[in-house]
Amino acid sequence: MAEPFIIETEDLRKNYGAVEAVRGLSLQVPAGSICGFIGRNGAGKTTTIKVLLGMARPTGGHARVFGLDADSENASVDIRRRTAFVSDDKDLYGYMTVAEMIRFTAAFFPRWRADLQQRYLRTFELPLDRKVKALSSGMRTKLFLLLALCRGAELLILDEPTSGLDPAMTEEVLRALVAHVASEEMTIFFSSHQLAEVDQIADRVVIIDRGRAVVTGALEDLRENFRRIQLVFDGEAPSPTFHAPGVERVWRKGRVLTVLSSDGSERIVDEARSLSPISVEVVPVTLKEIFLETVLTED
Amino acid sequence: MLWYKSWLETRWRFLIGLGLLILSAAATVAVYPQVVKLLPLVSNVDVSGQLGRQVAESVALSRDYRGYVWSSWFRENLTRLWTLFAVLLGTGGLLAQSAGGGTLFTLSLPVSRTQLLGVRAATSLAELLLLAFVPSFVIAILSPAVGQTYSIKDVLVHSACMFIAGSAFFSLTFLLSSVFNDVWRPLLLVLCVAIVMALSGFVIPSVAPYSPFRVMSAEVYFRREGLPWLGLIASAALSVAMLYWATRNIARQDF
Repeated sequence: MAEPFIIETEDLRKNYGAVEAVRGLSLQVPAGSICGFIGRNGAGKTTTIKVLLGMARPTGGHARVFGLDADSENASVDIRRRTAFVSDDKDLYGYMTVAEMIRFTAAFFPRWRADLQQRYLRTFELPLDRKVKALSSGMRTKLFLLLALCRGAELLILDEPTSGLDPAMTEEVLRALVAHVASEEMTIFFSSHQLAEVDQIADRVVIIDRGRAVVTGALEDLRENFRRIQLVFDGEAPSPTFHAPGVERVWRKGRVLTVLSSDGSERIVDEARSLSPISVEVVPVTLKEIFLETVLTED
Repeated sequence: MLWYKSWLETRWRFLIGLGLLILSAAATVAVYPQVVKLLPLVSNVDVSGQLGRQVAESVALSRDYRGYVWSSWFRENLTRLWTLFAVLLGTGGLLAQSAGGGTLFTLSLPVSRTQLLGVRAATSLAELLLLAFVPSFVIAILSPAVGQTYSIKDVLVHSACMFIAGSAFFSLTFLLSSVFNDVWRPLLLVLCVAIVMALSGFVIPSVAPYSPFRVMSAEVYFRREGLPWLGLIASAALSVAMLYWATRNIARQDF
């Protein structure tokens, strides 16, 4: 039976000495989704990805990919056989040529897609005989992407895939990813702190802050359910306690009381009317605002 | 393909080592006629002190070609150069590459870390095997050019002892490379260990019989006293233990 969740973590913890990089992270990534894994620098994104791929061992909790325990050495090999990965450092073997790098990688993946290899070599205009160390950062990212996309993998994990790229190159890489997903059946889990690119290609998001998931869900649902309710009073705004579910954050500034809700606005608005505001305004919230508000709440 | 990667990573160290050792072996054979001419001039050497005794011993050994080859090649040039390249080939690996050598890419491949390290160690050991045997065969091949012969059996025995006993230096470097994330510390530490071992036999003659270099040069075999079995078994066991330890270190490592 196919696993409903390709990636699943439960109370995942990872410490580096006294530093808690991941602190009880629980998340689920359904099969076939494009999940953006958003967080600030140092939020625990890369560490989580390393645990999923068996590059770092968890201190506590569980991490499963394809239902396999990522902490087991044998299972981890199987996970990596079915997963393609683009690391944030984009470091490949500088002493190999592009052609050697492709031949080397293809040898590990029985389902290597030679057709896609040809297509991406053309699209990315990669020079086969050039040494990897002589490639520009953008070209290296493209090569890394080619090596990932041609593996015939069921899961693609990308760690900051566009970091260090100029806007034009970023757009090119994102387009390639979207086109690839449109033609292949796969799940994508990609970390980023570029909210615009998550908004552009993801259908699910997990917002991580200080090693914990603070928001998780389908992007459409988040857009649907997250609302900012702004209440204006004729005097100093009160500081009420809302009982309605989904109140993420409440803040006052002079005559204005603002409520951030993650569960629609109706019940909060009903509750707020008892405070007799002179105006009530409900506005949808963008992903950037959701991110900033939830991360700022954590602060 | 892991073999190919390991080969690409170590090939220059290996090829430079092979080139140097072959040149050194050829030079050892080529200068023998001059050595023979010079022998009468050093017959009155002052043999007082450790150094004098060693010079006198070398002179005595050089009076016969087998002794000359053992003394100049297996005991001196090959032992020194081979140890240096064993240490050089033991450096590098996953940890040293973690700062910009594609380590995360390597670790994303569907192979275990034991396999990665196993192939890396096996490639370097194969190269060291060639470094021990090929230049020594050059001695046997070139010897007729100076009117001498050198036994293939001696080449095989001395080279095998060099490889088996000397692999401990490679394994120690390999082990330290699983602890330090740069190439310099393992390299310098093991070279220091090798130098201290070499000097200790010279400074304290009572420890000389236990020197690993004596096993590497198969001195007891040269003196027709059999093979240094104890030294060979101890070195091989030590090498295996250190390689295993290195594998365990890397298996536990977070990248």
